[in-house]
Amino acid sequence: MHTVEVSHLAKRFGETQAVADVSFAVERGEIFGLLGPNGAGKTTTIRMMLDIFRPDAGTVSVFGGQLDLARKRRIGYMPEERGLYKDLKLESTLLYLATLKGLDEKTARQRLAGWLERFDLAEHRQKKVQELSSGMQQKAQIIATLLHDPDLIVADEPFAALDPVNTRLVKQILEEQRQAGKSILMSTHLMYQVEALCDRIVLINEGQTVLYGAVDEIKRSFAGHAVVVVGQGDFTHIPGVLETRKHNDTWHLALEIGTDPQAVFRTLAARENVKIERFELEEPSLDDIFINVVQTGRRSQVAGHKSALEASHA
Amino acid sequence: MRNFWLIAKHEYRGTVFRRAFILVTLAIPLGMAVLIAFTIMIETSGENRLPVGYVDNAGLLDVSRPSLPPTPTGIEVRAFPDEEAALAALKGEEIQAFFVLPPDYPNTLQTDLYYLEKPPSSDVWGEFNNFVRLNLVATYPDEVRNRLLEGPNVTVHDVVSHREFSERSMVNVVLPFVASFFFFIATMSASGYMLQAVAAEKENRTMEIMVTSVTPGQLIGGKTVGLLAATLTQLAIYVIAGIVGLTVAAPHVEFLQQITVPWAYLGVMGLFFFPAYALIAAVMVAIGGAVTKVQEAQQVAGLLNLLFLLPVFLLMVIFENPAAPVVVFFTLFPTTAFLTISLRWGLGTVPLWQIGVGWVSLVAATMFMMWAAARIFRAGMLRYGQPLNLRAAVAVIRGET
Repeated sequence: MHTVEVSHLAKRFGETQAVADVSFAVERGEIFGLLGPNGAGKTTTIRMMLDIFRPDAGTVSVFGGQLDLARKRRIGYMPEERGLYKDLKLESTLLYLATLKGLDEKTARQRLAGWLERFDLAEHRQKKVQELSSGMQQKAQIIATLLHDPDLIVADEPFAALDPVNTRLVKQILEEQRQAGKSILMSTHLMYQVEALCDRIVLINEGQTVLYGAVDEIKRSFAGHAVVVVGQGDFTHIPGVLETRKHNDTWHLALEIGTDPQAVFRTLAARENVKIERFELEEPSLDDIFINVVQTGRRSQVAGHKSALEASHA
Repeated sequence: MRNFWLIAKHEYRGTVFRRAFILVTLAIPLGMAVLIAFTIMIETSGENRLPVGYVDNAGLLDVSRPSLPPTPTGIEVRAFPDEEAALAALKGEEIQAFFVLPPDYPNTLQTDLYYLEKPPSSDVWGEFNNFVRLNLVATYPDEVRNRLLEGPNVTVHDVVSHREFSERSMVNVVLPFVASFFFFIATMSASGYMLQAVAAEKENRTMEIMVTSVTPGQLIGGKTVGLLAATLTQLAIYVIAGIVGLTVAAPHVEFLQQITVPWAYLGVMGLFFFPAYALIAAVMVAIGGAVTKVQEAQQVAGLLNLLFLLPVFLLMVIFENPAAPVVVFFTLFPTTAFLTISLRWGLGTVPLWQIGVGWVSLVAATMFMMWAAARIFRAGMLRYGQPLNLRAAVAVIRGET
């Protein structure tokens, strides 16, 4: 049973098609990345997943069924729009939110002491939320998400407003949660965090799933979509090359999906003023893949889902 | 249900411990206490208890006659044979003042009063008046004498409502006016708290977390009940303060002794209070859901509150003609029915059918507004940047978006 299964979700707001066709599944004990450029439909997808918005089409299954109150209690949600009761004390706020998630006050109090200690907020427990710095409020928000020990954690940009020390702490906590068998769905723009943390990802663009699968497999499948060339001469304006970057004598060429590296090599070799000392396939970063997929607007799916990309590879 | 009550408890505690609530709740009873204390002080303090004298040159008065039924002052009336003797007693501070009735008093009713520095209180005047009137009718049989002294006791019968008003209990006519303002202050302040509770949820960006923990129904229902409990607490404090104040003040202030509990009024107000509160709460939920900031919400609510406050502007019309067409219209109109009926009650001219129609229209409007507010709230609850304008709100109600 998947922790979350989203199938062909669609949502329109007036004239705008916010989500057109998004499908993915989140497994138990994994960190799953929900990626996409601004306005791709990530937040709308999360909100439909959590029954905040009702989808126009498609289905959502959480913990094997429709999202009722009992299942909601097993979810910890940190929305993109952060918020706590500003004129309430930190401790009261967190206890209130935890009890709404089904925790009794005594247990909530015991757990809260540990979390406040871990996030260095223990001495601020009696302060009003508005008296805390934005970083402290962000940490408090993370505690609010985790205090009731949810089985599914949905975090929209969990590292925003955190300094490097606390970013490391949050990463560590997410790792612990994964090891404890919890499912984590996180949305972020920070690709290096995704590479470091996520087991699988879905990339959505213009409301559609364009890339879906395990991070390693995706990177492998995109190897060959970038090449490293060492040499002298003009390496620009090559057909099928999306982006060209130069660092010292090394050129990084990001290829459009479907471009054959051999064709690029032949084009360069045919140029009179070009001298090639080394030409090799580069395993692209997720950043490169993200840009490539979003800019070319090509749709692809891997790892169990038939896709245009697989078809072209085949 | 657990979450419903958790939210209700949270809202209740958050409201009753708020400084503004405590100030509003305590200010009125404290003001009342100060007023009562001031009244009692005026009634009792500095009162000159010395006897009052008189010189009867007309030969009408007999000091040995018993005084009229109970006088609150109990000041002794003392006879003097002539003005010199009375003046000597006044200067010797044996008496506080003396009256002189000339020989032709029965024809002229001319009376002279002498005092040193401070004129006698109205109670002394009343005491002496009673004494004179008693003596003037002393020769009549007891029955006739008592009627002459007491005058007519008029009871007004309202043939429409079948209610009766005694002119001696005007305080019972005024009481509904006072009570209606208390009811209304409580309801409007509760609506303000409701507005703030909903709008702040958006302004604090906690709405999204809340709706993934509870249902929108639990969220709004819990808030409504919590704030209703806070309002009832406020009203209970007003009522208790009123009862204590009246109990303390009544022995010292004569007109307060005529107060009777207006059970029928309280019953009708109870009938209107809950749907009126729910209507205002629903309006506030809709506003809170549609706008993005507390300040914006308060501005919009200020305008809509006028719909509930209109009867106050008609106060003079209600006094002059409680059955005027505009007053009847306001009695039947949902937002104004509560306050108009309350204001008309003391005048005793609210026909039963108007109360019935007013209540039905109020309940119908409340049910519609609760349904519409739920739609607006659901559509607007996550619109942080752009408020839901009137056109969009209408479209949401009509199910077009």
